Amino acid sequence: MTASKRWLPLTFKIALLTLLLLWTLIPIIWMVLSSFKPNTIITADTPQVFFTPTLEHYVSLFSSGNSLWPYLLNSLFIAGTSTLIAVVLGCMAGFGLSRIRIKGKQHLAFWIISTRMAPIAAVIVPLYLLFRYLYLLDTHAGLIVAYLSFNLPFAIWLMTAFFDDLPPDLEEAAMIDGATKFQAFRHVVLPLMTPGLVTTAILCFIFAWNDYAFAQTFSGPSTQTIPIAAAQLLTQTGIDWGKLLAIGTIVVCPMAIAGLLVKRWLVQGLTLGAVK
Amino acid sequence: MMSPALFLLALITLVPFFSIIWMSFNDVSLMGGLAFEFSGLDNWQRVFTDPDIRSSWLISLVYFLATVGLEMVIGTVMALLVYSLTRGSNIIISLLLIPMFIAPVIVGLLGRFMLDPSHGLYAWMLNESGLFDGNILGSVGSAMVAVILMDVWEWTPLVALIVLAGLTSVPEDVLEAAEMDGARYGQKLLYIILPSISNILLVALLIRAMDAIRFFAIIFITTNGGPADSTKIIPIRLYDIAFRFFDLGYAAAVGITMLVFSIMVATAFTKLLKRQEKAS
Repeated sequence: MTASKRWLPLTFKIALLTLLLLWTLIPIIWMVLSSFKPNTIITADTPQVFFTPTLEHYVSLFSSGNSLWPYLLNSLFIAGTSTLIAVVLGCMAGFGLSRIRIKGKQHLAFWIISTRMAPIAAVIVPLYLLFRYLYLLDTHAGLIVAYLSFNLPFAIWLMTAFFDDLPPDLEEAAMIDGATKFQAFRHVVLPLMTPGLVTTAILCFIFAWNDYAFAQTFSGPSTQTIPIAAAQLLTQTGIDWGKLLAIGTIVVCPMAIAGLLVKRWLVQGLTLGAVK
Repeated sequence: MMSPALFLLALITLVPFFSIIWMSFNDVSLMGGLAFEFSGLDNWQRVFTDPDIRSSWLISLVYFLATVGLEMVIGTVMALLVYSLTRGSNIIISLLLIPMFIAPVIVGLLGRFMLDPSHGLYAWMLNESGLFDGNILGSVGSAMVAVILMDVWEWTPLVALIVLAGLTSVPEDVLEAAEMDGARYGQKLLYIILPSISNILLVALLIRAMDAIRFFAIIFITTNGGPADSTKIIPIRLYDIAFRFFDLGYAAAVGITMLVFSIMVATAFTKLLKRQEKAS
């Protein structure tokens, strides 16, 4: 242990950290725990810690008349497709942008970053009108396009940052050895970019999976995603907490695991390459 | 290689961009098919005179200062604590990061669940301890505090993660030298640690600033701007204008004022990136 790391009394440090951990984790633990409680325990006047766990909420989510399946499939399909398109196109554009030397490159960069930062509420208004005009409301394609409006600039920007870290010497050496530009890209550059590609894909998927505002506005009976299912149950009178908490658990757990899988590259991803 | 992506990006961003500008000069009606009626600067005049818009910007400002301020302070403390750990820091930061992967709708759901007046855990704790016994999300003041804290809960980890990355660049030898000279922790923090992470703190601030105006789902799902409009930040107001009153032309004008704000943040962000490039 280096001397510089020693500071503040240990007990104080532990107390503060414990407090922060409790603040962060209690709601999540309470949600997951309560999703296995029978409704009578969830709505008890005093919070209950001991109970006989039940899977009834999960079972009813996937078996009752208004099953969660269609919502889940819509979410997977829409988030998956928009991620795939964003990552493939973003990877190609990122490689190009990183290697090219042109005038006005910073204007191009500025355009890309400002589209990523555009407030969703402001983007929704013209998109709604255009989608209505093009008959894209309540279609999977409409939501995929909507998610591309933030995932595509994100993927281009982030992949550019990842390619910037990779010295061009490698592909240049391959090309000197007789590889075409595409071969050099495919066999030399791409394998080294796996962490960058996976990070970009996971973050794009999380952004699309977690979206509520676009889905609320553009989706219809046949295209609603899981966040919409949660919102619908939440606005009913007499909230069915058991079901809702089960949905919450289903929405949260895979994304938390996926996000933590790329923890090493997360800073770079979430600061759009500004911090490495 | 760049052309397919840039072409698609142009299509899905520039078309809406010019549409929203054109919409802001029109009275857009949805009844009986789309209809545009040119209305000159009417919408723009309303944007700058409407007291509802002004109060929404004010609430947004309070929300923005409170959330981003708390996130910066708590996030920095969180990062300093984790950085000072000699072991277990990996697992602890992983646990602390979880909230930022959670969909805002679910954060709102959790807020409603924890604060439910009849069986929420936090509501019960506040009630038992005698701190607060009203309907938290249903009362002016406490509702604002609650939605601010939900945002803080979700996004503080992001600030902590960014600051933690910055802390690895703090010059270790300078810290050690200061320690030999008998510097206390507060002095080291103020004169060595914070100055050497100032750029990182700025990155965190800008990232949070742009997202603060981007997302609105937490409020949407918990209070939807209420009670008595006390949590009606500008994106919620815009959504109301557009999709409750279907006044799309006016909503477009409000949307452009929001865009101006985010373009300013983006400008600051690219300037900062350039400065970093020169420094390295």
